[in-house]
Order: sequence, then structure tokens, then C-alpha cells
Amino acid sequence: MLYPRWLYHFVRRPAVGPYPFRADPEALARPGQVLRTTRQFGRSLAVRHVDGGSSNGCESELSLLGSPVYDWSRFGFGFTPSPRHADLLLVTGIITEAMVPHIRETYDAMPEPKLVVAIGGCAGGEQDYFAGMPGVIGDLGKVVPVAARVFGCPPSPNDILATLLAVVEAPAARQAERLT
Amino acid sequence: MRDPSSVAAVTPKDALRTLIAEAQAEGHAILDIYRSDRGPTAAIWRPGEYTVHERELGPGPFVRPSQYGVLGFFALEVDDERAGWWIGEYPVDRVSGRGIHVMPLGPVRADVAESLRYVLTVFGDDIHHVRIVPGYKRRHMEEAILRQGVHGGVRVAERVTGTSPVAHAWAYAMAAEAALHLVVPAPALLERTCLAELERLMSHLGDLAALSAATGTITAAADLYALKEKVLRFNQARFGHRYLRGRIAVGGGTPLALAPLGLASFADDAGREFGLVRGALDHTTSFLDRLHGAGRLRGGAGLGIRVTGVVEKSSGQSSDLRWSRAYGAYSDLTAHLRPVVVESPDAFGRYRVRVEEVLQSLEMLKSLGSRTELQAGAPTGESLGTGFGLVEAPRGRLFYRVAVRGQDVTGVRIATPSSLNWPAVPVALAAHNILQDFPIIDASFSLSVAGLDL
Repeated sequence: MLYPRWLYHFVRRPAVGPYPFRADPEALARPGQVLRTTRQFGRSLAVRHVDGGSSNGCESELSLLGSPVYDWSRFGFGFTPSPRHADLLLVTGIITEAMVPHIRETYDAMPEPKLVVAIGGCAGGEQDYFAGMPGVIGDLGKVVPVAARVFGCPPSPNDILATLLAVVEAPAARQAERLT
Repeated sequence: MRDPSSVAAVTPKDALRTLIAEAQAEGHAILDIYRSDRGPTAAIWRPGEYTVHERELGPGPFVRPSQYGVLGFFALEVDDERAGWWIGEYPVDRVSGRGIHVMPLGPVRADVAESLRYVLTVFGDDIHHVRIVPGYKRRHMEEAILRQGVHGGVRVAERVTGTSPVAHAWAYAMAAEAALHLVVPAPALLERTCLAELERLMSHLGDLAALSAATGTITAAADLYALKEKVLRFNQARFGHRYLRGRIAVGGGTPLALAPLGLASFADDAGREFGLVRGALDHTTSFLDRLHGAGRLRGGAGLGIRVTGVVEKSSGQSSDLRWSRAYGAYSDLTAHLRPVVVESPDAFGRYRVRVEEVLQSLEMLKSLGSRTELQAGAPTGESLGTGFGLVEAPRGRLFYRVAVRGQDVTGVRIATPSSLNWPAVPVALAAHNILQDFPIIDASFSLSVAGLDL
């Protein structure tokens, strides 16, 4: 019986954090590196995630993006099971050689326009622990064109959300500018 | 010395089988087999004892257990530098016939999932045979620790499995401290215990949320994810990292005093909210119906495979190291609590165990907040340059062997609970389940692939 819980949430104020409409003390702990932006996307963004050799920490943070605290679906983001429907590709991890063909295949299967975001210090190419290991590429930029990098180990969901909004120049980000 | 001619007749596989048969007869667990200064050696541990014993195997052929653990499936490998890393196949008969087809799933699968390929053999909706193909995300964790030295290695150990960095750091530190003959001060042990329980809380809440999402119970999933985020923010505010990294150091570091952290009031708050969600879930038949009987490990298969952690506890047996080994501050904390055991080796049992463990962790956090001194210190035995770390991670028993020479690490072996539990997943999946049960069973095990592809 989850209806009482549902009702409880219905009458209570939303659990969602203030970001990006007001400053969140945890937001933008570390700004991501945005290389390319686009306004081609509208309000519905299908996101595909591929794990290129992560420690599971980035996945834990990505799964929190859909939680009521971050609620990225209010900006139109949502995970899609098929790369054929995907607009954004999020890649986590150190990028192993075994995953390179699968990342390329996923990227090729996505329709244009499409953008790739590297999630975490490993995919962003700043993780030194694994440099020079056999079968480790260490930077997503060497495999597919990267539009943005989110750093941190693991990056906080607010950092991920901030970078994604900046990349697609989402209407919400523009609205936030108007509000402030 | 044995006669060399008789040694040559014994194959590595036979030598290991004999060792395993002896261990099973005497109730030992073989944690690791490795090459020490004195030749091939096994690390042997009797459940319930604090110390891990080394046993020389004599001048016989040297075998190395597979990634699946010594007592899991027998995928063996002769120690040969050219052999490299090799993935064993499960000794399960292949299924073929009219109407049966093979459905590969992965490594790109689901919404947010780690890279792993499932090869499902299905007949209509029925899953008949499952093979797991890991190896997509091997990051050479053991070699990366070797590079960093004794004190730097703990930062790499935190990155083996991103959702349980405390357990890995503690197991590594425990092994390194034993090898270096360091005695850890009591405040550091108290802080580590607190970190470990916060991590268990966070990990189990995430697993329960994923299970709720897999069964379509999204209201509960939203509540549990929000609660997990609350724990993560508490971690960030009090310990400086959402996943509690960077706190544990070999030798103790600079521990925080636990009294001013407000652990008791936080545990009270979290416990009240968790109680509400848990009460609602326990009365949601659409949720419970999907769990009962899904992914059942039939006929004691779980105990035969020697699963650990949540999967073992749901099979009606517990070898929880917090009780049996009483490391850190656990000898006091566990005095008035009993390890969780549920006699239901299916998804429901695993859900039950996680719920009870969350409540238990909250209990422990409450009593940790009011504690200022530690009663029992951890004894350190005589060391020969090799140390062992055994810690109960959120997913089960975690083992580290660290060999040290000076400030260099000369050998590391990591046996994660996920690598011990993965062999049970195909067995549970191919037991009268249909494809629609797959995400539920996957979420009920909630194992990490990062802990398998080290």
C-alpha cells in the first residue's frame, strides 16, 4: 500500500533541490569542461549510458539523477534503453580496449544530432592510477568526439546536471538566467 | 622433501582439488593461493578465528585460482606469465533443441548498468541456461596498487568498487598494518567502524531502491533514493566525501571524534523515514508477489557455491565477519545483536536481509555516537611480511592479502564478495524463471561487475 506515501508526497513540498534556479551549496562543486554546446535539442532528451570500465561509483551517482532530489526529468532528460533513440551519450570509466568497439557502435547507432559527455575523472582523462596499464585507453576523447567532461571521483549529480544543461543550453538554464 | 618424480605426476588441478577436499573436511576456507618467499603458500582461515594462517604447499606445481574464487567454480589456471588473464567458463551443460535460441544481453544494457554480457538460452519466455561473460572492464587494480606503494595503495583500493570504498580501504589497511606490524589507535578503529556502517546503510538503501524500481514500485524507489541521497549528504557534511573516500589511512591517520557528529539524531531521522517506506513495501502485494520465488537458489545451491554476504544470509546461514571475527569496534557493537539470517534463498529473502541489515546498521550508528573509548583492541600477530585483511563489506566477505618489503608492496590479492557471489547468479536465473524476472533477480543480487573485473 504505497498510496499513503504518494499522498504524503502530494501534499508536501517537493523534495527537489534549489539548483539551478537558486544556488545550492553543493551545486557546481567543480564545474565541468564544456567544449561544444548546441541549441538543436528541444525539451525531450533521451540519454544512453555506457560503462567503459568504471568503479561503479559514477553509476551510483547517475542513478540518483532520476531521484526526487535531482529529478532531471523536469528538464526533459530520461534514460533510454536503445541508442537508436538517444540524443546524449554518457560514458563513465577508464575506457578499456575491450569496450572501445561497443562505445563506437553505440555512438554510430545514435541519430544526428548527438553529443557525448564524459562522466568522471577517469573518462575525462585525469586519472593517473591506471596510466600505461595494458588495455587501458584512459581518455574518452581518443575514442569518440567529446562535447563535455564532468570531473570528480565520482562527480556529484549536481555537477553532472549542471554540465548537461550547459551542453544542451536547455530552456531551463535560460529560464534560470531570466529569474536571477 | 617429496620425491620429485611423484610431484611431477600430480597436475595442478589435482593438487588444488586435494587441498580443497582437506579444507572442506576440516571446515577451513582457502582464501588465497600464492607464491611467497618459501614457495607456494595457501592462506587458510577457519571461520570464527581472528587470524589467517599461512600454509606452505611444498614443492608441488603452483596453481592460481580463477577470478571466481577458489571455492567457486573450478576454473583453474596454471601460473604462467604467458597465460595472462583468462576467463573460465561455467561447467554447465549446453542446452540445444528446437525452439531454443540464444539471447545475448550486454555489455551495453539496461538504463544505468555496468558492462557485462549475459548469454541467455531461452525457450519462449523461460530461461534455461545462462552464461556470464565478464572481462569488459578490467582495470588491473592489483597492479595499480603495486605501483603506489604501501601508503598510496589505499587510495587505489578505494577505487576497486566505487560503492564500497570504505570496506576496500579498511581491508587493505588491515592487511598492510599486519604486514608492517603497526598497531592502530582506538579512535581510528572507532571512526572506521562508523564509516563502514554508514557505507552499508548507503549501499543497502541504493540496492533496495533499485529492487523497487525493477518491480515497478516507483514511489518506494523514489523514497529510498531520496533517503540514500540524505545519507550521502550527511557523509559529505561530516566526513568530506559523499562516498567516504580519503578518510582511512594505513596506520590510522587523523581520526575524527564521533561524539559531535550527531550520529544518533541522524540515525533516528533516517530510521523513522525508512520505517515508513519499509512498512508500506511490506504491505504492497504487487511488490512482494514479484519477489517470492524469483531467482531461487534451489537445493542449497547457494551454500554449495559458498556464496557470501546477503546471498548467504538469505540461504539460512551467516558467517558475518563482524560477529565471527569481531574486528574494529564490533566486539562491543555486536554483543547485543544477532546476525541476520533468513530461510528464503530467493529475491524475497535477499530483500528481507537487506531491510534487517539497514535497521541493524542504524542501531550500531546510534550506539557509536555515544561511544568515546574502545574496549577491545585488535591484536596483531607475528608477521612475515605478508598481511591479511578480512572485512565484512556491504555485499559480503572481502579479503585482501598484501605483501610488503620496505615501503613497497610486492604482492596484492583481492577477493571481493561480488567475485564469490557471481557464480550463483546463472544458477539462480536458470531455475524456472522467465525473462520478465531477469531485472528483478539482477537487482536482488545487486553485485558489482567492478568487483569481478578487477
